[in-house]
Amino acid sequence: MAEITFRVKRQDPQDKKNPEAHWEDYKITYEGNLTVLEGLFYIQEKYDGSLAFRYCCRASVCGSCAMYIDGAYRLACQTNVKHLDSAGSPDPVVTVAPMPHLPLVKDLVCDMTDFFAKYEYIMPWLIRKSPDPEKELLQSPKDRKKLDMPIDCILCGCCYSSCPSVWGEENYLGPAALLKAYRFEVDSRDEARKDRLSRWDNERGVYRCHTIMNCVEACPKELVPTEGIQWLKRAAIRRRLFGRLK
Amino acid sequence: MKAESVTSHRGGMWAWLFQRITAVLLIVCLAIHLVFTHIVGIGDISYDTIGDRLAHAGFIAVDIILLAAGTFHALNGLRMVLMDYWFTSRKRALALTVVLWVVGLAALVYGIWALWPWIS
Repeated sequence: MAEITFRVKRQDPQDKKNPEAHWEDYKITYEGNLTVLEGLFYIQEKYDGSLAFRYCCRASVCGSCAMYIDGAYRLACQTNVKHLDSAGSPDPVVTVAPMPHLPLVKDLVCDMTDFFAKYEYIMPWLIRKSPDPEKELLQSPKDRKKLDMPIDCILCGCCYSSCPSVWGEENYLGPAALLKAYRFEVDSRDEARKDRLSRWDNERGVYRCHTIMNCVEACPKELVPTEGIQWLKRAAIRRRLFGRLK
Repeated sequence: MKAESVTSHRGGMWAWLFQRITAVLLIVCLAIHLVFTHIVGIGDISYDTIGDRLAHAGFIAVDIILLAAGTFHALNGLRMVLMDYWFTSRKRALALTVVLWVVGLAALVYGIWALWPWIS
């Protein structure tokens, strides 16, 4: 049996008696391996049923359980406590906090309303204008390869929370929405490039990105949103100056 | 987030593009300026020796490009920093841009005025 302490940042802004943020320690005993998400279930079952956190797939696919664990953006479900820096110490302590710089709902749950409003704003769906073919839309393996990086985004919000440009400008679209814009801009089947252009080609879109690269460091799926954003800046020049839509 | 709050900040492409173009101009013109001032020196740096150098039209052109590119690059960089802080709304950002253009053009006119004896 192994023992580990979870130091969890608790806050309930609705609680009139104690609305301030505070840290609470919980001792957890486990055998074999333990993910942070399993640790949080343990706390909820054994210590405090009121602990709030989001989760869904438990397989690092849905992006619900993104948190700030041991000073880094991680998905609680894919973080084995044995892989954390604190694991080596004789009395290990894991800190678990909500993603910083986002409005808080309760404990580890952040308000993602703006994040998803910006995501929806760039029209993250395939738009066709020509008539549909009889069978499926064909795409060459070379064109499909361009989508490999951006389609792995799980919308966890780590990049968005870590971006200093988002902290400074609440209306900046942010790395996740712009990466999704890039995903459809490079899709050979999409036909809405002109419609989407005005949505990201402005100073609350791609030009607000100062290539700080926090998003690249934060992404638990190891994606590179900055690469997509820089591609969009070059695409804007190609389209506006040379009229090339690709 | 409201959709109109994003699209109200139109433009940005030219500022971004010219920031890169002026960066390249700065590297080239600064290199020429530094090489001819400190390495291929024509005597001590004094009013007269600099006057001799400015007798060549090429140096006048390099100095004016350096002045224009440096002013744009610095003030646009400052604009991007300030827009991340207080100048976030469209009105404030526009006011900031206008003020910086006035300051930049004044600096350019003043610089060209200083070079005028050799230009004319």
